[in-house]
Amino acid sequence: MRTDLLALPLIVGLVMSTGCGASPASSSQPSSAAANIDASQFTLAEEPDGAVGVIAARESAENGAPLVLVGRVGGSAKPWIDGRAAFTLLDASMDVVADGEDSEEGELCMGDCCATERLNCTTLVKVVDEQGKLVPVDARELLGLKESDMVVVQGTAKKDESGNFVMIARGVFIRN
Amino acid sequence: MLGQRLLPWDYGVRNLFRRPSRTALTLGGLTIVVLLVLVVVGFIRGLEKSLAATGNPNVVLVYSLSSAADIENSSIPGRTPALLAASVDGVRRLHGVEYVSPELYLATRILTANLQEPGMGLVRGVTTKAPLVRGQVQLVRGTWPQSGEVIVGRLAHSKLGTSEEDLAIGQQVTFDGQTWMISGQFTAAGSAFESEIWAPLADLQTVLKRQDLSLVAVGMDSPDRVADVDLFCRERVDLELKAVSESAYYAALQKHYKPVRMLGWIVVALVAGSGIFAGLNTMYGAVVGRVRELATLQALGFRRRAILLTLVQEATLLACAGALAACLVGLLFVDGAAVRFTMGAFMLEVDSVGIGVACGVAALLGIVGALPPALKAMRLPVVEAIKAI
Repeated sequence: MRTDLLALPLIVGLVMSTGCGASPASSSQPSSAAANIDASQFTLAEEPDGAVGVIAARESAENGAPLVLVGRVGGSAKPWIDGRAAFTLLDASMDVVADGEDSEEGELCMGDCCATERLNCTTLVKVVDEQGKLVPVDARELLGLKESDMVVVQGTAKKDESGNFVMIARGVFIRN
Repeated sequence: MLGQRLLPWDYGVRNLFRRPSRTALTLGGLTIVVLLVLVVVGFIRGLEKSLAATGNPNVVLVYSLSSAADIENSSIPGRTPALLAASVDGVRRLHGVEYVSPELYLATRILTANLQEPGMGLVRGVTTKAPLVRGQVQLVRGTWPQSGEVIVGRLAHSKLGTSEEDLAIGQQVTFDGQTWMISGQFTAAGSAFESEIWAPLADLQTVLKRQDLSLVAVGMDSPDRVADVDLFCRERVDLELKAVSESAYYAALQKHYKPVRMLGWIVVALVAGSGIFAGLNTMYGAVVGRVRELATLQALGFRRRAILLTLVQEATLLACAGALAACLVGLLFVDGAAVRFTMGAFMLEVDSVGIGVACGVAALLGIVGALPPALKAMRLPVVEAIKAI
């Protein structure tokens, strides 16, 4: 009887461990697109000179002119574009406060209520290949970027008459 | 334990019929408890399904950047659909028709023939492209609305708080100073659209004196292309647009209603708990009246564990019978019942999860409700128990 009592939980445990089985394949494997692209061609070994902030670049950069931009990855509740080598860059002089908190000068709230205010101190960075096409790999995967990383981006400014400013990047340097 | 001599199975079954009134009352109580659990779980599942069914991963919603996901407060230029179709690659096309649906969405007071006071309803101004993008929408009765007409969702009557006949084809509804004829009825696979009234976009804009839109719903070739719309909106900051995939939008709404769902599960636990206490009370009374019988069984040679198992068997049988009855009532009368909610209306869903939870609660009621009184009865020495009155 005592043996039966001990056997029952052992049998149940054996069945459950068999059923739970091997762990599933890791979901953090790089995508097939990333595997086919040499990420080193978009990563700069040294920080380029002459970097300007996002706010300054918005005012002074000319369409098609070479540009070196410095800023912090962020400026949006979701600064990434899923599956694309593009992200939002925030001017390094701006700090971020939590959604719903009062923001003072030099601070930005990440809520949708402050979305239009953030437009003046952020820009979209698109990492393109030699043909000028946007790289179809998530920036986090391609460049190893994380939110709030301070980066220096080298590329070309793209501006239109409506005031839209986008950074077409050929290389990214991550400051430690 | 399994090798010991147990009481016959039918002994416990026959005991239930020895006191038919008590058994019937206990069965009734247990059925009500399990039915309450089924209704609450059906509410939670229905709410989850309504929000999940509404989100299509291939569809991206484009609305105003500053509206904070409140589409009713969103206002975007009327030229946005054409701009999106021309500027973004990957928009789904069929026979040259783009899957781009401009929509005007508002909550407004709606009066029907039988309503004394206008009810709060949801109106969406759409074009003929809406069913292309909203693939789950199907016109099941009547015709697509022409000028001055509307079509109603299957649960629109529940949202308004009126009868289904009040929104039948040929009836009229009045909102924003205009009377509209109902020309058809649509279903939408249990999604939130079923609680809405759809009107021709141009008519609605004229009545509301607006030229803007609330949102544009764009059907893409694949979920991967949704990022291209997001990219376009972030490049063209002058348009002040925001793009969110429909599934992400309704997933965020799901999170918003998480406290309601958590409260629902707490109610389930409370109802189950009250059922257990009621079961305990009933079983205590039942066991007290059978002390001599149980002592006699021990004197005959049955072990205490075998008698305890029989008592648990009786209680569990009763609880499971109550669960069966509750599930039957639930499937017949609760499943599909419409519930009015803040974001519209949805149907209670009695599915496998609900039935599983209900049966699990019943089994728990039977086992936990019988154990304490049975253990108490087993503690009495046999000689004293046989002498008990």
